Amino acid sequence: MVVGLVAAAVALGGNAFRVKLDGEKKIEHALNRLTFGPRPTGAEAVRKTGLKKWIDAQLHPERLTENPALQAKLAPLETLRMNGAELARKYPRRPGAAKKASGPAMRKLAAASTEDRRKMLEQYAPPQVVAYDLVESKLLRAVYSDRQLAEVLADFWFNHFNVYLDKGADRYLVTSYERDAIRPRALGNFPDLLRATAQHPAMLFYLDNWQSVDPKAVAGRGRLAKRARGLNENYARELLELHTLGVDGGYTQQDVIEVARCFTGWTLRVPRGGGEFYFNERMHDRGEKTVLGVKIRAGGGLGDGLQVLEIVSQHPSTARFVSGKLAQRFVADEPPPALVEKMAQTFTKTGGDLRAVMKTMLDSGEFWSQGAYRSKMKSPLEMVASAVRSLDAQVDSAFVLAQAVGRLGQPLYRKREPTGYSNSSEEWVNTSGLLGRMNFATALASNQLPGVKAAPERAEGAGLRLGSPEFQRR
Amino acid sequence: MLTRRVFLRGVGFLSAAPGWLARAAAGAGERKKKILVVLFQRGAADGLNVVVPFGEKRYYELRPAIAVAQPGSGENAAIDLDGFFGLHPSLGPLAELYRQRHLAIVEGVGSPDPTRSHFDAQDFMESGTPGRKATRDGWLNRALEKGKASPLRAVSMGALLPRALRGANPAVAIDDLNNFRVRSAQAAPAFQTMYAGTGDTVLQGMGRDTFEAVRLLESVQKQTYTPEGGAGYPRGRFGESLQQVARLIKSGVGVEVAFTDLGGWDHHVNEAPQLGNLLRNFGQGLAAFWRDLGDRMEDVCVVTMSEFGRAARENGNRGTDHGHANVMFVMGGGVKGGKIHGEWPGLEREQLYEGRDLALTTDFRDVLGELVERHLGNRNLEVVFPGYGARRFRGLLG
Repeated sequence: MVVGLVAAAVALGGNAFRVKLDGEKKIEHALNRLTFGPRPTGAEAVRKTGLKKWIDAQLHPERLTENPALQAKLAPLETLRMNGAELARKYPRRPGAAKKASGPAMRKLAAASTEDRRKMLEQYAPPQVVAYDLVESKLLRAVYSDRQLAEVLADFWFNHFNVYLDKGADRYLVTSYERDAIRPRALGNFPDLLRATAQHPAMLFYLDNWQSVDPKAVAGRGRLAKRARGLNENYARELLELHTLGVDGGYTQQDVIEVARCFTGWTLRVPRGGGEFYFNERMHDRGEKTVLGVKIRAGGGLGDGLQVLEIVSQHPSTARFVSGKLAQRFVADEPPPALVEKMAQTFTKTGGDLRAVMKTMLDSGEFWSQGAYRSKMKSPLEMVASAVRSLDAQVDSAFVLAQAVGRLGQPLYRKREPTGYSNSSEEWVNTSGLLGRMNFATALASNQLPGVKAAPERAEGAGLRLGSPEFQRR
Repeated sequence: MLTRRVFLRGVGFLSAAPGWLARAAAGAGERKKKILVVLFQRGAADGLNVVVPFGEKRYYELRPAIAVAQPGSGENAAIDLDGFFGLHPSLGPLAELYRQRHLAIVEGVGSPDPTRSHFDAQDFMESGTPGRKATRDGWLNRALEKGKASPLRAVSMGALLPRALRGANPAVAIDDLNNFRVRSAQAAPAFQTMYAGTGDTVLQGMGRDTFEAVRLLESVQKQTYTPEGGAGYPRGRFGESLQQVARLIKSGVGVEVAFTDLGGWDHHVNEAPQLGNLLRNFGQGLAAFWRDLGDRMEDVCVVTMSEFGRAARENGNRGTDHGHANVMFVMGGGVKGGKIHGEWPGLEREQLYEGRDLALTTDFRDVLGELVERHLGNRNLEVVFPGYGARRFRGLLG
């Protein structure tokens, strides 16, 4: 079916984005891009609802009832509903505990039921319970959620505002970060989303801003004063480079320093005990600052940082950068500039209404074009989730699936660098990944993965299809 | 960021796996090929605390909380190299190699592009074209000469293929050497046929690279591997990667260039203990690799790099923010070791880049260029580093 597609797209060049898809391909395309892959009955369901109506429903996940099967599977993963303080108290680090389970221990964990595994982990490495609940929930949602677009976007925005689960206190902070800051705003308003990430303990800890202090501040008493005696540029730089303007968005090193000065005092209470954002006047640089040409008056306190977030949210570079990144994820590795421009205009006009930006993209000819169709390589998460969905396999435990995603090069919640994972296809095309995908496909289809069951009549011979070149694209 | 397509390549490429298989089976490599191993320290290693300018008073003024103490001043003191520079105390194994003149150091080296973005700086160093984002392939791929060669001529250890190795020549990412195969014997030939016949050019090329590499590695996988020379690789991914590179080199499967990386160098907070741990891993790994390869090091050169250095002055959190120039190590049998190459730019305010970072006195392409031309024997440097004609080699090779 896709034979010669790439060649065709290349031959057509930019024109491929003007060649329209026919009806049946449109449904396939929608399911490939707006969900974690079609289920066997997926196309039929969309046809029945009507593509337009189905998309509209996906754009309003709050109106959709969630799949009860998903709710049931998430229920035992208790940590998903706890706050940081509870997590730190109930799942403490044990000094001397092994950081990583040995090979045989790992196999035992994989074979156990979710309930037993959580008990085993609680015994020897309680913080691992927090980590596995998170990664398993991600797979379960990707496979089972009926709010598929919301899940795809939750993944996109977490990755955009990436934090790293294995950086110290972040082990207890990421659960709430994703649940309370990212998920409710994945189709919300960008300035609101940006502020939620900026003030969340997980981000303040990950990019070190909680320790950034006005260099002129008189060192007070207490532990923080001993450790912190000056500016830390880490958050300020990534805010401009990765979260908003983009690296070529037109800021200077001096802007980075000025932004860092504005955010001094945005800190944390008890970071290692669950963390709580607060503004510490004594750490704050009270002087005047200039950010991207805008003067921020002296004595603004907490308002300095809020003003910075406003300035960068409204900057035209942010509209383009965010739109371009969405288009790269949903449309093509090199999205047509005209499309990005259209999306950026919507972004600017609506003050960063992300649902409106998505709608502009989904109303565009470029999205529904031959140039976009099957041009993207699936990420490991997309490959694994779509394979399970395509077999309608039953997932009693997602532990092994999460491990597979990690081995294919995308350990979930564990991208150490603030860039997040690449949205570009080329990241995922290599020999190791290809073999890994073939091996995952055959193991899944022959029911060798503990905790995952596919009906024999559906799985029979499916390994080759799931490991095929066609299945690696979406 | 929105540039670069998946590399389309392969149509018409002369593959030579059968010949290589025959030679590997016979155990005879005719012409001994030189090998270049590249280690990337991702996250911007703090060069000033790796090779410590203890002879400069200003160093201690800039870093009151995190400076490495002068040699002879106790347990955590720098290891003296030449009376001015010293190695971080966690790099004992490398100090020994330096004294034996197998290890050279280049100071004040890095990319001339002023970016302090990790992503852009790594990208520029791996593409080999600082400041130019449109370059699609990597310098290490371009360093390979066209023509018949082993499918394993370019390898990288890890689940992803790094930017430096992407491009028109086949390059193989290997996460776990022993499991580099299709596990189902039944499915393997079917997959191979399927990928060979697909119209998806990208995946067809990648599939061919994969199956050729799998065939060649079958014989390697049959033998168990024991490091030689009492080499003790550090536990963890980095040590394992280096050991796999050594194993591939020694098994004579035609490796010409190898790449591996080690992350975690971005120390904005509480740098000292973290840097110490990383450097211990780093130094032990390099030293183990040296011992394990033994005489084979005559043909091997290892070079280390990181996207940029860190600010000369420590920040408010016993850490360091992003800087500019850095330090590189070059290790190998043919290396003019036991010497600090390049010019030391100094740490006085007017000597620092933008008043805050170590200034650049050597372009990283001068170092890599010399290794490509004089070690690998590829004289087409204008292909490997397009637009760079300076060729100010530092005399790293004897």
